[in-house]
Amino acid sequence: MRGLLASVRFALVAAGQNFTRNLAVSLAGVFTMGLIMLLVGGTLLLTHTVDAILAQQETQADEIHIYLQDSLSMRTIADYELRFSHDSRVNGVAFTSKDQAVVAAQQRGLQLQPAINTLGTNPLPASIDLHVRTLGDLSQLNTVAKALPIVDTSSGSATDYSPGVIPRLQSVITVTVWVGSALSVVLAVISLVIIMNTIRTAVYIRRTEIEIMKLVGAGDWFVRWPFILEGVFGGVLAAAIGATAVAVAYRFVLSQANTQAFLGVTFDGRYLTAMVLLLLAFGAVLGGFGSFLGVRRFLHA
Amino acid sequence: MSLAAVMPPQVGQKPDPGMRPVISFHGVSKTYPNGTEAIRDVDLAIYQGDFCFVVGASGSGKTTLVRLLIREEVASTGRIFVDGQETTRMTRRRLPKLRRKFGIVFQDYKLLTKLTVAQNVAFALQVTKPGQRHLKEKVEETLWIVGLEDKLDTFPDELSGGEQQRVAIARALVHRPRIFLADEPTGNLDPDTSWGIVQLLLQINHRGTTVLMATHNREIVDLCRRRVIAIDSGRVVRDEVEGGYLREGEATI
Ligand SMILES: Nc1ncnc2c1ncn2[C@@H]1O[C@H](COP(=O)(O)OP(=O)(O)OP(=O)(O)O)[C@@H](O)[C@H]1O
Ligand SMILES: [Mg+2]
Repeated sequence: MRGLLASVRFALVAAGQNFTRNLAVSLAGVFTMGLIMLLVGGTLLLTHTVDAILAQQETQADEIHIYLQDSLSMRTIADYELRFSHDSRVNGVAFTSKDQAVVAAQQRGLQLQPAINTLGTNPLPASIDLHVRTLGDLSQLNTVAKALPIVDTSSGSATDYSPGVIPRLQSVITVTVWVGSALSVVLAVISLVIIMNTIRTAVYIRRTEIEIMKLVGAGDWFVRWPFILEGVFGGVLAAAIGATAVAVAYRFVLSQANTQAFLGVTFDGRYLTAMVLLLLAFGAVLGGFGSFLGVRRFLHA
Repeated sequence: MSLAAVMPPQVGQKPDPGMRPVISFHGVSKTYPNGTEAIRDVDLAIYQGDFCFVVGASGSGKTTLVRLLIREEVASTGRIFVDGQETTRMTRRRLPKLRRKFGIVFQDYKLLTKLTVAQNVAFALQVTKPGQRHLKEKVEETLWIVGLEDKLDTFPDELSGGEQQRVAIARALVHRPRIFLADEPTGNLDPDTSWGIVQLLLQINHRGTTVLMATHNREIVDLCRRRVIAIDSGRVVRDEVEGGYLREGEATI
């Protein structure tokens, strides 16, 4: 127990010395690796966000919202609702008022209050929402709806029907996953090389010490641990830098996307936490393994 | 404080004939990668409690012999045994345990310039027996033995060559090794200090530690009348129980 504590202390002190004696090289390594972690984390979050948008689109796929002009009377709206409810292709009709639209948007994570405050009015239109029996009828119903005199054409689209969006998103995801995975593998290899070289420099600085340690009979692991710890420490530090940058960017981009583009993407704190932990573990493993490879050649020489 | 307090208990002075050697070489040769044949077909047996001088001209292979013993170098052919274990076939994993049996004074000292005298001596214990109790006392006792008790916090660069050599001796002694290997431990010392070092090694030996000392110092070898192993171009050319630096009647240069 005493021996273990003493060994751990020895390794920690030596690892700290390695890092600081070699500060410029260590920091350069850490920042490069931090950048790599940022790219890996960014790819993960991007994939996840596109995934979330897709999932949201899919749940809305059997619905079509017909946006209404602001000036319509409740009577007119009720007439159209009735007409649609007799349509055999439709199995549900609902009405969403302008205020309800805001509530619904807010439930999807959109921050509308700032926009409403600036505009002075609520920019969201009311809508008649049709639930269809089969997805294939959506396009026909869309054509019918767009021709109605009650639709709001001011915002560019009379309905939220967009047939191409799902396949498009799916291909975006496939590409992101592929590019992201390939990039991550390449970046992980680059990280390993950077770590190995940083550790080699540290080993070189300590070569006399290591030689004496080996000759007086210190075990291999005793020689290795300081360097492995240095690598793990550097890797975790790099991951922390990368993860912080990703988290800040994620928050910023989402808030921009939601207020400027009305994209209904929610901030996923749990995924972000999981991703940060994953990056930290990834950094620790890469750092430790890179150092192991870095000292190995020297130890066996 | 007396030497007896810090030395291992005394064992039998002379080995009885049936005793197993603590070190033995069987037809050992060492050829370095560049083709230099540093050791050629050496057979040796060294017993617990022996005090041996290894003498020979510069380049005759003394240091190589020491390196083979601690397996810093691997023999090209032949077998070496230490404590009955064949070190020539030992796995890397078991090297630390082998090396801890030895106390080694390297010809070039190998002191760490960034550490103080006391830290240099402590280092050997810290990396082989982490968490060792009474570390400070052990280090100070050992430095007292070599007469450096007033240089504890000095750095090696601030010491004379002889003082550095004594730090190296203290570092080799601090873990109370069974076998003490000294490669030219008096190389840089004046006759008086050299003699002091040899007295010290004799005392250590008297307490049961096997001592192997490679040296050029003719006066010391002739005065001690101990076992002398003479090497020439990697071969053992003489092995006498109570020898001199040169063969009896050999011409003095
Ligand atoms: N690492 C090495 N690679 C190649 N040749 C070596 C190496 N080390 C020593 N030699 C050669 O091996 C021979 C024996 O060297 P060694 O160092 O054992 O001699 P020595 O007896 O200790 O000499 P000295 O008294 O000068 O210390 C020499 O010819 C030397 O040049
Ligand atoms: Mg030599």
